[in-house]
Amino acid sequence: MTTSTLTTTQRIEKEPPAWTRMLDLSDRALAVLLLAPAAILLSLIIVYPVARLAYTSFFSLSLTSGLPAEFVGLENYKLMIDDPIFWETTWNTVLITLITVPGALVVGMALALLANLPFRTQWPVRLSLLIPWALPLSFAGLIFAWFFHSEYGVVNDVLNRFGIPGVIWFNSPNLAFAAICLTIIWKTSSFMALIILAGLQTIPRSLYEAADVDGAGRLRQFFEITLPLLKPAIVVALIFRTITALQTFDIPYMMTGGGPGTSTSTLAMYIHQNTVSFLDLGYGSALAVVMFLLSMCVTVVYLRIIRTKG
Amino acid sequence: MSHVTAEGPASFFAGKPLRFIAATILLVNGMFPALWILFTSLKTEAELTVKPITWFPHAPTVANYMQAFSDQPLHVFLFNSFMVALLSTCLTLLVSVLAAYALARLNLKYRGLILSAIIAVSTFPLVTLLVPLFEIMRALNLLNTWIALILPYTVLSLPVCTLMLVSFFEGIPRDLENAAMIDGCTRLGALFKVVVPLCAPGVFTAGILAFVNAWDEFLLALSFNSNPALRTLPVGIQLYQGEFAFPWPVISAALVVGIVPVAILIVIFQERVVSGLTAGGIKG
Repeated sequence: MTTSTLTTTQRIEKEPPAWTRMLDLSDRALAVLLLAPAAILLSLIIVYPVARLAYTSFFSLSLTSGLPAEFVGLENYKLMIDDPIFWETTWNTVLITLITVPGALVVGMALALLANLPFRTQWPVRLSLLIPWALPLSFAGLIFAWFFHSEYGVVNDVLNRFGIPGVIWFNSPNLAFAAICLTIIWKTSSFMALIILAGLQTIPRSLYEAADVDGAGRLRQFFEITLPLLKPAIVVALIFRTITALQTFDIPYMMTGGGPGTSTSTLAMYIHQNTVSFLDLGYGSALAVVMFLLSMCVTVVYLRIIRTKG
Repeated sequence: MSHVTAEGPASFFAGKPLRFIAATILLVNGMFPALWILFTSLKTEAELTVKPITWFPHAPTVANYMQAFSDQPLHVFLFNSFMVALLSTCLTLLVSVLAAYALARLNLKYRGLILSAIIAVSTFPLVTLLVPLFEIMRALNLLNTWIALILPYTVLSLPVCTLMLVSFFEGIPRDLENAAMIDGCTRLGALFKVVVPLCAPGVFTAGILAFVNAWDEFLLALSFNSNPALRTLPVGIQLYQGEFAFPWPVISAALVVGIVPVAILIVIFQERVVSGLTAGGIKG
């Protein structure tokens, strides 16, 4: 290995102009060639559809009516403002984000601190954080729907064992919402824990030893050493989590189907319903534009943070 | 890792009791839902409706698994999921290897801009593309085909894989490629004969992440491929529920069948997956 690299550098020194000049010439062409597949895919699946989305949102286009698309200006957006289900599903989405993102952070932090203890065998711990991550969201929704089953669910069984009467989780909007949030927190906290754990493992031991010498307690060490050093990793994880929380679909769809009524329906579920069930593409597009703007706000914050980090 | 056996008040934090409690919490949190569904899948319908409910199956049976395969074409769902995930993973890797090489090795004028664009795309909500993609796939007659899912799934994982590969490629000394090129390789030849093999672990990790992403995706699969013959596993599993009945043991069996392939992948490559996930998270 070392000898071959040595001869390489020697050879390069002998005849540098030949290949460097050739490379300089072809660099730009090569770059275009290499980036082209990605660019084509992104334009086909993202750029063109986004443009089309904005365009369609100004049309009345319902595939069930069989009428051709008709330009209606801001009519879809006006409909949306007067649509109580739009407001309800948007509010549910925001609420899910506000509850499950901090929830996953707190639970994930706790799991990471536990996983960071000096275990002799690491793989069971690692695996117990990886399995929830790898489980499909839709599977998690089904599994937890079974957990919260009013008759034969394990949650009510455990409650009964503690002398608390079981409840019918999916009949009450608030309980159903709580069940969904708990499921999302369980599903997402382990990814958070993995990110935080990786951050924890980069903090040098000597910092804690020094703090021990200075007589700082465990709690103070956590707030003055651990948290500040983890901040960059946590911020990135939080932003990704926020963006995925805004798109929440699988878990409520599987657990409650949005019910009772539309009380646990999310914006993504409403977009899906309008598009696939009602085939009302104009209105579905207008709803999607709102979702797009919501998540763009978060992305802009993210890009700004990355840029200031350098 | 050194084993701290401090004396005094701090000893509990490094001591055995705490580690035991911590391990229990972690294992129950991580494994219980999957284990519970495994137990349910081994119970008979009769045992399921006993109250109070039983935790461990009294008379374990594989009948539910047989029924899961006979009630619905579970093997077809598995095949669809597998092929869609595999093909989109291959496409993702091919496209992102090329793009990442350009970003890591060529002195691009707009490198910063392109990287920012890739990061922006990585946060893109795929839900918003439901309507236009539905229109496009419908117009191209691609609804109820693998392609309708493979293309969006490729884009779904493309940003993360590209960013990961850029950092892997930057760790490979340029001399090695130069040597290959002097030996008569073209630049692309050097990429595939020298750089990619050296980064094989990284490329493989990116591939696992892309595969899991595709295996998990639900919304687009639900919206584009409703034909039972083309449903992926998460969408196909819905077919088990009747209008009034919800055959939990059979559904559980189908879920276990769907969890096992990814679980095997995770068990074998756990360290690699963790490093891939956290590299993306920390680097951003």
